[in-house]
Amino acid sequence: MLYSSAPVGGGSGTRARTVIAMQADPNPMKRKRKPIKSKNPKKKTTMTKPSGAMAAVAEAKRRKPSKRMLKLFKKRAQNYHSDSDDDDEEEVVEEGRRGEATPSGGNDEDGSTDSERGGGSEGDDEGDGEGGHRGGITRFDEGCRAFRVAFSKIMKKKLPYDALGPMLSAHKKLVVEKLAEEEAEHKAKGDAKKEKILASEKGHVKLASFLDAKEKSLIKIATKGVVRLFNEVSKAQISQRGLNPSRTKVAKELAKQRKQTFSPELKKSSTQGHGDHLPFNSSKLSNSVEKENDDEPGWAPLRDSYMLTSSKLKDWDKMPDPAASVGQDVFPMESSSSDEE
Amino acid sequence: MARFKHNARRNKKWGSAKPPVLKKQPPSVDHVTGSKIPKSFVFARGKLPGPLKQLELDLRKMMLPYTALKLKEKKRNTLKDFLNVAGPMGVTHFLILSNPKSVPHLRVARTPQGPTLTFEIHEYALAADIARSQSRPRCPQDLFKNSPLIVLSGFGAGGQHLKHLELMTIMFQNIFPTIDINTVKLASCQRIVLLNYNSEEKLIDFRHYSVRLQPVGVSRRIRKLVQNHQVPDLRNLQDVSDFVTKAGYGSESEPDEEAATVSLASDLDRVNRASTKSAVRLQEIGPRMSLRLVKIEEGLCSGGVIFTEFG
Repeated sequence: MLYSSAPVGGGSGTRARTVIAMQADPNPMKRKRKPIKSKNPKKKTTMTKPSGAMAAVAEAKRRKPSKRMLKLFKKRAQNYHSDSDDDDEEEVVEEGRRGEATPSGGNDEDGSTDSERGGGSEGDDEGDGEGGHRGGITRFDEGCRAFRVAFSKIMKKKLPYDALGPMLSAHKKLVVEKLAEEEAEHKAKGDAKKEKILASEKGHVKLASFLDAKEKSLIKIATKGVVRLFNEVSKAQISQRGLNPSRTKVAKELAKQRKQTFSPELKKSSTQGHGDHLPFNSSKLSNSVEKENDDEPGWAPLRDSYMLTSSKLKDWDKMPDPAASVGQDVFPMESSSSDEE
Repeated sequence: MARFKHNARRNKKWGSAKPPVLKKQPPSVDHVTGSKIPKSFVFARGKLPGPLKQLELDLRKMMLPYTALKLKEKKRNTLKDFLNVAGPMGVTHFLILSNPKSVPHLRVARTPQGPTLTFEIHEYALAADIARSQSRPRCPQDLFKNSPLIVLSGFGAGGQHLKHLELMTIMFQNIFPTIDINTVKLASCQRIVLLNYNSEEKLIDFRHYSVRLQPVGVSRRIRKLVQNHQVPDLRNLQDVSDFVTKAGYGSESEPDEEAATVSLASDLDRVNRASTKSAVRLQEIGPRMSLRLVKIEEGLCSGGVIFTEFG
């Protein structure tokens, strides 16, 4: 038959295995019954009619199992209805059946026993419709129930959670080592990355507070500069607009006035104010020094000195002279303004 | 049918021949002052980590419009390549970012043979950080159309004319184009670069602001009404006079100094009119840096060292 006597695998699984093996039992019975039935129902009947001596023995056996079978069936029905997971009972029943099966299997031909059993069940079927049915059902349910019991047993059993899964022990060690190595590598890489990021962020200040005192003071300084610039622009442009363009004389006077007003003005403001004035101022001053009374046209290319004067940056080391003189003025200004603040 | 359509499309293309459009070159010489407009390249040498790349972009934006905004540099480009390109294009200054030994440095150099100032960037904050920390970051559209004005402060303090300080001032003044007071339009002065020298720590604070003019003497509500063109909510008021004359609380950011007011030369926009008082309000944009001068070299990243901080 299909059941195996030697247990395979862990000790805890044997019971289930044997039970499962048991379950194979009724099916082969059934299976063997069916093809016989399907192929030749007539033949079965012929098979169930043995010769004389055999018939007697068969009959005797027929009666015995039939009664026993009835009892058994009743028990099973009870078990089924009682809904109690009584393994021992099951086991007893199973073993009982098993016990039955083996001698019967051993004594006679399989076919005859099958036919007997089949006949028995059939007889039951015929004789006692319910019982027979129940017999058939319980057998099936028996199988189901046994399976259910086995399954629940397996589910109850708590397997040790092994991350590596079931494997042979030596291989396990290898895999564990490898995993440990990988983890160490990842860690090292992670640390290196963190260091890298830290290094790249060096000096980069994430603004904690936006407007603190220092920033406000800086903004004030810048604002002062802008205000000065705008004031001068407004002065220049308004006065320009006031005495409006009739080129010649007025323009000359205007230009003179501008130059005169600018130089003291810009000496005051100088580097504390507008850097952009200085180059302008210096170029204008140099021009004014050279040719004061010339009528300098407003548009640069018309001037004679267009692009001919040495560019102011060639003499960058000489340039500081006006700036230097201006710088001296700055210091008292600086202190006064700081006092104000 | 298809062919007909195809032909029609072709004819359309050929039919309207557009005259070739000349791209307007940025002027190399300022018409009014007659001085050459300085142009600059901002680029990096060596590999820069993420935030420093952002800083490079911010600096480029700050130097607009007289810089190459989309300058592409490759690893194999050397300084000589940039020099060769700079000549014909009229580029006068280089701003070079580098990161030797993971300390960011900024070199300001004048081409072709001018001096090089090397600064160590002690701290920096990106434009994005600043915008994030402000409650109302402001960036009007043509903010970068005009070059910024530069304000230098603290360089003459101490009464000593330290040569390197003077050189720094001149260098920075010359990076940005000059303006002519008589003809400049106030509307075009929209950005300010501030360089403040702190002589105790020998650090230079670098800030970049945007200028905003606000009319003084106008209550906040009316100003907002005129600027936003939004109909105010007059549900709870009996009369319009309530709206106009309601005494509002003074906010912290309101200009509270007389020093900040100017009288404008001309009309700026609907709100700021000529000969009325307006207040100058600065809002920070752009990167923020604190620099320390490390050395000055005679040539363009070469030549004799004129000055060293640690020398």
